[in-house]
Amino acid sequence: MSGPSPSPAKSRTAAAPVAVPAVPSAGALLSDREQRPLDLGIIRRLYGYTRPYARLRNVLALLVVLRSVQLPLGVWAVAQIISGPISRHDTRAATLGILGYLALAAATELTFVYRVRLALRLGEAVVHDLRARVYAHLLRLPLAFFARTPAGRLIARITSDVDVVRTGVQDVAFVSIVSAGNMLVSAALMLRYDWKLFLIVLVMAPGLWLLLRHFRGRLSRAYRAQQESFSRVTASLAESVNGIREIQGFARQDVNGGLFGQLIHNHARINMDAAKHSAVFQPLLEFNGQLFLSLLVIIGGYRALGGHMELATLIQFLFLSNAFFGAIPNLGTQYNQALGAMAGAERIFALLDSPPDWQDAPGAVDLPPLRGRIELRDVSFAYQRDRPVLSNLSFRAEPGQTIALVGHTGSGKSTVVNLIAKLYLPTSGAILIDDHDLAAATGQSLHRQIACVTQENFLYTGTVLENVQVGRPEATAQQVREAARRLDVLDLIDALPQGFDTPLGERGAGLSLGQRQVICFLRALVAEPRILILDEATSSVDTLTEARLKVALARLIAGRTSVIVAHRLSTIRHADQILLLEHGRLVESGTHDALVARGGRYAGMVRALAASHGAAESR
Amino acid sequence: MDLPHPDRRRARTPPRAAAPPNPAWRLLALAWHYRAACLGVFAFQVVLLALGLGGLGLSGVAIDVVRHALVPSTLPAHWPLGLTPPASWSAGGALLVAGGAVLVMAALRALLLFGYAIASGHLLQMRIVPELRLRVFQKLQRLSFRFFDDNASGSIINRVTGDVQSVRAFIDGVLFQGAIMLLSLAVYLVYMLRAHVTLTLACLAPTPVIWLITSVFSRRTRAAYERNRALADALVLGMSEGVKGVRITRIFGRAREAFDRFQQRNVAVRDQQEAIFRRVSRFGPAVSFVTAVDTAILLGYGSRLVARQAMTLGELVVFAGVLQQFAGQISSMAGIWNTLEQSLAAARRVFEVVDAPIEIASPPAPRRLPDLPPERRGAVRFEGVSFAYGGGPPVLSGIDLEVNAGQCVALFGPTGAGKSTLLGLIPRFFDPVRGRIRIDGVELRQLELDDLRRNVGVVFQESLLFRSTIAQNIAFGHPEASAAAIERAARTAGAHAFISALPDGYETRLEEGASNLSGGQRQRLALARALLLDPAILLLDDPTAAVDALTEDEILTSLEGARAGRTTFIAANRLSALRRADLIVVLEHGRVAEQGTHAALMAARGLYFRAASLQRLGAEDEPDGQVAS
Repeated sequence: MSGPSPSPAKSRTAAAPVAVPAVPSAGALLSDREQRPLDLGIIRRLYGYTRPYARLRNVLALLVVLRSVQLPLGVWAVAQIISGPISRHDTRAATLGILGYLALAAATELTFVYRVRLALRLGEAVVHDLRARVYAHLLRLPLAFFARTPAGRLIARITSDVDVVRTGVQDVAFVSIVSAGNMLVSAALMLRYDWKLFLIVLVMAPGLWLLLRHFRGRLSRAYRAQQESFSRVTASLAESVNGIREIQGFARQDVNGGLFGQLIHNHARINMDAAKHSAVFQPLLEFNGQLFLSLLVIIGGYRALGGHMELATLIQFLFLSNAFFGAIPNLGTQYNQALGAMAGAERIFALLDSPPDWQDAPGAVDLPPLRGRIELRDVSFAYQRDRPVLSNLSFRAEPGQTIALVGHTGSGKSTVVNLIAKLYLPTSGAILIDDHDLAAATGQSLHRQIACVTQENFLYTGTVLENVQVGRPEATAQQVREAARRLDVLDLIDALPQGFDTPLGERGAGLSLGQRQVICFLRALVAEPRILILDEATSSVDTLTEARLKVALARLIAGRTSVIVAHRLSTIRHADQILLLEHGRLVESGTHDALVARGGRYAGMVRALAASHGAAESR
Repeated sequence: MDLPHPDRRRARTPPRAAAPPNPAWRLLALAWHYRAACLGVFAFQVVLLALGLGGLGLSGVAIDVVRHALVPSTLPAHWPLGLTPPASWSAGGALLVAGGAVLVMAALRALLLFGYAIASGHLLQMRIVPELRLRVFQKLQRLSFRFFDDNASGSIINRVTGDVQSVRAFIDGVLFQGAIMLLSLAVYLVYMLRAHVTLTLACLAPTPVIWLITSVFSRRTRAAYERNRALADALVLGMSEGVKGVRITRIFGRAREAFDRFQQRNVAVRDQQEAIFRRVSRFGPAVSFVTAVDTAILLGYGSRLVARQAMTLGELVVFAGVLQQFAGQISSMAGIWNTLEQSLAAARRVFEVVDAPIEIASPPAPRRLPDLPPERRGAVRFEGVSFAYGGGPPVLSGIDLEVNAGQCVALFGPTGAGKSTLLGLIPRFFDPVRGRIRIDGVELRQLELDDLRRNVGVVFQESLLFRSTIAQNIAFGHPEASAAAIERAARTAGAHAFISALPDGYETRLEEGASNLSGGQRQRLALARALLLDPAILLLDDPTAAVDALTEDEILTSLEGARAGRTTFIAANRLSALRRADLIVVLEHGRVAEQGTHAALMAARGLYFRAASLQRLGAEDEPDGQVAS
């Protein structure tokens, strides 16, 4: 039901409001369909991924053909021994036959060893390549893509999707060929023994196939319903676990228990539904086999009694038809897995095919070492066509200056920063760094001279040192220590359990907000950027830490051009230039004193801030 | 240690066993609770087994009927249970009877299989799983926050979902399957022994080899698989961080390094798999070769028996079929063992929750809060209160505090000084280790827990709002609240204006994390939610911690109206949030360092004064008359 996003607010992690660009594959990317009909294009493309392993693949194909002949031959051999020498009470011939059977079995299993091993190897190799390609592609996509695509969906590409493709490559292709070959060879043998009886066998096959199709359709629908219902249960649970303080604080346990009880009861009913379908399907499948067996015995028996065929042939049929029919459910399972693999591959390919919204211009050149002058000329920007985020913005920052961007949530501050860092391209207008138009410069050469500290203070899993080295991988531990000393935070880092070698958990868990910010500052400093971009954290830290951070920040920005999305009056006040944005327009700019003296909007805002911050202190 | 439970509506759930330490006993007790249904399900299996064996035997009879008719020198068919048809019957007639009987048995089997699936499905899906899930959930909701701090949320969720399913698997995967396996093995064995003793022994000789191969294989691969899972987890984590940290990677221009890091893990996963492949590719063929050897023995020995007329050809075919079933049951043993191990591990996790003591509960005979006029409700007294988390270092020590009804108390102090903990003691999120807290003269532990919590409204640092409508979120603590009451609470919290401006007003659905609202709006909704119950005491745990200065101002203004007529506690870091408090309590290392009004504390020139000066230095570098007006 939910209509358009009712408020301009943005979530704390997404840098930009959701944009819907005209990328044709976006629809495919967003819908996680479970299955897809067999598609030659996708199969061909997946086949292309086996090209680097052509030898492996070809040997494998040979083994598969070999095995699809060996398997029915084994069955035939057993039936032949029973119906021939054993029935004739010829022990010597039986022994010879059995030795032959054992030799065949050994050969079959030897083929099997390599069939399995090579298939596993091929699948893993293809999947490895796919993962690498997906990740490399992601690294090329512009930031806007990540703002509009949930991270979980991208991760699913290299986990669940890659898994079904792996199964597709390792199993489906080869097992289906073996099963099909098994069927064909069994059929040929039966045809040779008694084509009339074989026709009876053949009549049963479509019935079995239809039965399988009918129930597989219903079962897969039931499983999908099950999955949806299960995800509702999980979502509700997750909310309860995350909201446990709220639940206990508001004494909601009984209400919640009742709601959850309904939900799992409902889920149980859906589970039962699926169970009912398979409760009909499995016995029917088995009955079908029994029906066939008894028909074969009765009809074949009559024919044998009437002298129309030999008993040996009947015994052959009992064995061979088993191999023939056993392959059908097997093929059905493989078919279903193939459909899943198709859907997975399609989603992966859709991601790989999604073109970057933009990339560096063809003739883009590397920027020389920068001094750090920034100029925006008449810059406008919109994530969505008729919803401008920035309109005709112009300003200039001289090397070494500090620019404070000020304004309400949604006024466009973060967008300005994103444009300067060339994470987005302006819709119109130009951005110049040291008189180089960013449109004609490579992003990489700019990024090597820029550093940023974001609000969320993102840290990787790894040690503190490794996180700092993200700023400049070639920095030695000694250089990093030196940088920490310059920033006057060495004691804070040495105070961590293992200093610079302290391991950080996922998303930097285990550190306080202040400590995380210190590491981010250090990371930015080690990069020795000419331009520093800083999205000031809004979360409050305790007074002492805040004082330390303030000192570190002052040292960090000294001598560099810095653009700060500022929330604290103390930061704003020190800026060389304050830009007040409102709905994407520059409404006032100048120094703190000049703007306060003017008595305009900035002065009003400062009054509001000071009233809340300063009232306690004003006697 | 089993404290009285506030919720007594668990009549249908199994009674608590006397908590033996071994989860296997707990699982058996669970099965015992459903014994009637379990027996019914089991009975189905017994009949099914008999029918299956009957069908197989009759097909052998059919072969022998034909063979005897064609080659009269061979043995005549052995009909089971002495049901030999009269000699007057033609071979064709006997064949028809045997074939027809196979068909009828198959049809019966199909029907019974259906019945079995429905009966076991009903027992497992409709009874055991939901009942156990609800039981775990109900218990979870009442556990202390410590449990939630100690366990990752994914693991907690898994206890209610995956782990309960694994516990269920003990019933069908271990008990049922195990019983079926033992029963079938016994029946098959008797059948085979009756057919021929030495043949049976000869054919069963390779079985231990399969067993050996399987157990060696699973022991060798388990470690490899575990290592593989760890590597794959690292790979996914790397990818997930790559996506979440894409801004950092991008802006530092480190795409190449990020790719190399990912590739390292990617290659590690691929190369480690190779070792698994070698083992896997040997296992399957090895087992099937042993089966082939088995068949060879059967044929070799069987051929002699048939030649000596010690056995009919049909019997040999049936024997082969039974032997195959027997081998199938043997190989299912590994699966049952696996399921058993999994369900034991899951049971440990599930019963850990079910058995966890409820640390905080209502007393057996709770007292009610005295019936005071609204303006005199909400006096809070801390008497020598100390607190520590689970035997850790003290977080609060010897807190004495006297707060009158209607006062506003601000808690101030550095991170870790114990502000949030002190607030959490009032609605009994934790109980003090020493000392007492009284509300309106009554000790907290004597009050009915829900009654207490409904009288205390809480707003957290970052309030969690739920994925439902705004109105439902405000009415969280009292789902039956009228629209008028919801609007009143929203007005008091200063949220009515922005809510009415939304296209759907109070019916606007919140997204996950209420990401369609701004931080300030979220906090005002949380405030409205707390105010809906008209609590005598309002607790605000640094409600402006996560918002920018302009938004902070909006929230603080809303608070002005909200705290009228109730006792308010506010924990805060910023001086801005402390203004107009009647009493400021400065906490340091879990002790009250100072308390008094702002003016008094400034005059005392202590910790508060120093912190205030530092902050003022930040906010106001120089005395700035024109700004502070």
